[in-house]
Amino acid sequence: MSLSPRQHWIGVLARARLSELQPHEAALKDVEYHLIRAPEVGMTLVRGRMGGDGAPFNVGEMSVTRCVVRLADGRTGYSYLAGRDKVHAELAALADAHLQGSQPSIWLSDLITALANAQASRRAQKEADTAATKVEFFTLVRGEN
Amino acid sequence: MNAQLLQPAFVDPVLDAQRGFRAALKALAEPGLIQHLACAPQLDGLAPATYALCLALLDVDTPLWLAPSFDTPLIRANLAFHCGCPFTANREDAVFALLGEHDLLDLGGFDHGNDRYPDQSCTVLVQLTDLESGRGLLWRGPGIKAQRQVHLPVPQAFWLERQRREAFPRGLDVLFAAGHHLIGLPRSSRVAEERT
Repeated sequence: MSLSPRQHWIGVLARARLSELQPHEAALKDVEYHLIRAPEVGMTLVRGRMGGDGAPFNVGEMSVTRCVVRLADGRTGYSYLAGRDKVHAELAALADAHLQGSQPSIWLSDLITALANAQASRRAQKEADTAATKVEFFTLVRGEN
Repeated sequence: MNAQLLQPAFVDPVLDAQRGFRAALKALAEPGLIQHLACAPQLDGLAPATYALCLALLDVDTPLWLAPSFDTPLIRANLAFHCGCPFTANREDAVFALLGEHDLLDLGGFDHGNDRYPDQSCTVLVQLTDLESGRGLLWRGPGIKAQRQVHLPVPQAFWLERQRREAFPRGLDVLFAAGHHLIGLPRSSRVAEERT
């Protein structure tokens, strides 16, 4: 299953850190816009499958923040992200709206690529840290014989 | 869904929805008494009170039946976005119904609940132009100490239609809305002509 470009950038914006978005705050807010749905915190039920393909079960609830903005020219930006950060939700929705413009390339190169690279390196770092602690178990002799 | 049609709704979603719910409760607890809803948003085709009731009462579990006069892309898009409610074309499936003055003559098809669960009936929201310009009728019943004079501008045939479908405890609860005001008409209220 391949992601559309918009799915990709919405995911990148949701996983970004607020400190990475804040340098762009002035540029993002440099347009006339209003809130269709002001940032709001809610709960959502997370479901999972044992081993990835078992019967579905409820893992638990997590907090989610969502926001919808409309720019003066009619573009509508959405954001959904994990956690309770309303400032982040508004900035992410604004970025989504800007990226839907006729020239998304500037925003893509400035913002999304940089954020995606930062996320990839964080992930690689974490995977490397985790891999160092990996332990292989194997059985030499079984107890009963 | 057309994102261009979306408009902001409640300024303070939590408290405004609670005020709307409170007004609806009071309206049904004291039938015929006008309730005021100050904090209600505007949407083309819906009065502020009607829209506030929709925002307070509707959610994913409440299929809504729209009268043709309210079935516009704007109303559909905004109710679907802000309430998340499904729309139904079958009156039988509706938990809420949104009607105008001209739809009052035929209340057939709506779920009246059953004898074991009369609370599962459809709740009817009716939008009028105002609530006080009609002929005076006397309301009696629970929530009214003796009797109350109410001047709802609804056609006479509506009262006949309501009486015809009466089968207490089954029945329809109706909320009339106009501008920023609403009046409740629960199934338990008895409505009679004013004696001159």
